[in-house]
Amino acid sequence: MTNMILALVLGAFFGLTLNKAGLTRYSKIVNVFRFTDMTVLKFMMTALIVSMAGLYGLRELGLITFPNIPATYIAGNAIGGLIFGVGMALTGY
Amino acid sequence: MSTLIQQFRKQLWSPYIAGIALGIVGVLSVWVSDSLLGASGAFENLAGILGKAVAPQAFDNMYFNFIMPSEITWGVMLLVGIMIGGFLGALSSRSFKLTVNGDTQWKAIFGPQTWKRWGLAFLGAIILEYGAGIAGGCTSGLAISGGMLLAPAAFIFIAAMFASGILTSLIVYRKRY
Repeated sequence: MTNMILALVLGAFFGLTLNKAGLTRYSKIVNVFRFTDMTVLKFMMTALIVSMAGLYGLRELGLITFPNIPATYIAGNAIGGLIFGVGMALTGY
Repeated sequence: MSTLIQQFRKQLWSPYIAGIALGIVGVLSVWVSDSLLGASGAFENLAGILGKAVAPQAFDNMYFNFIMPSEITWGVMLLVGIMIGGFLGALSSRSFKLTVNGDTQWKAIFGPQTWKRWGLAFLGAIILEYGAGIAGGCTSGLAISGGMLLAPAAFIFIAAMFASGILTSLIVYRKRY
């Protein structure tokens, strides 16, 4: 139950960052594919760097254990990504 | 303090600041909940609930019983939270308004008709969810959450997503690209 409330709170912060980065708009998403607005990449890569450093640091300190790492199956990841990109460019989600 | 509040209320933050915030949320979700920030999986959970109510036999299989259990999962709660957070963000900058077809760039490219926006959103979302299902996650659940654990899958997915995204917008925008 506590975990469900935590999910709600974490989700709220997640949604807040998406809103404040402007990623709830079609134009922000599609313009990264046109190289006219790199917000998506700046946002995503900053988040990646911060969380990588945080997670690996905390694991070194013995404070966390990693959850199940998303499975790698090259063909699936690649084909799924190719299909996903079409939808993303069309809808801007 | 008041300048901080003023900065918070801005409609758009620097993407770097928002990115740092998301990075912290990503770390916290592993730390406190032992979970990853996945958004697309919640659709399967919800679809399973609906499916079991309508056609229990068709949905009584391994996928909807174990892989994507048809119940209110952590991911579903996260999704609800995302909506609340986005809503609060829009309220904080006083930019909240209800629109059915609000994006000017969209209208310039596809035309002003609302049914087109909704129709293509519906179709595009099916493509999105299908792709995410095959790849094992979406931008948040695989690209960001997988990437922060250095999963190779995430980087294959990001590369493929950008390749087809660029190609699709080239086709859609043609001379206006």
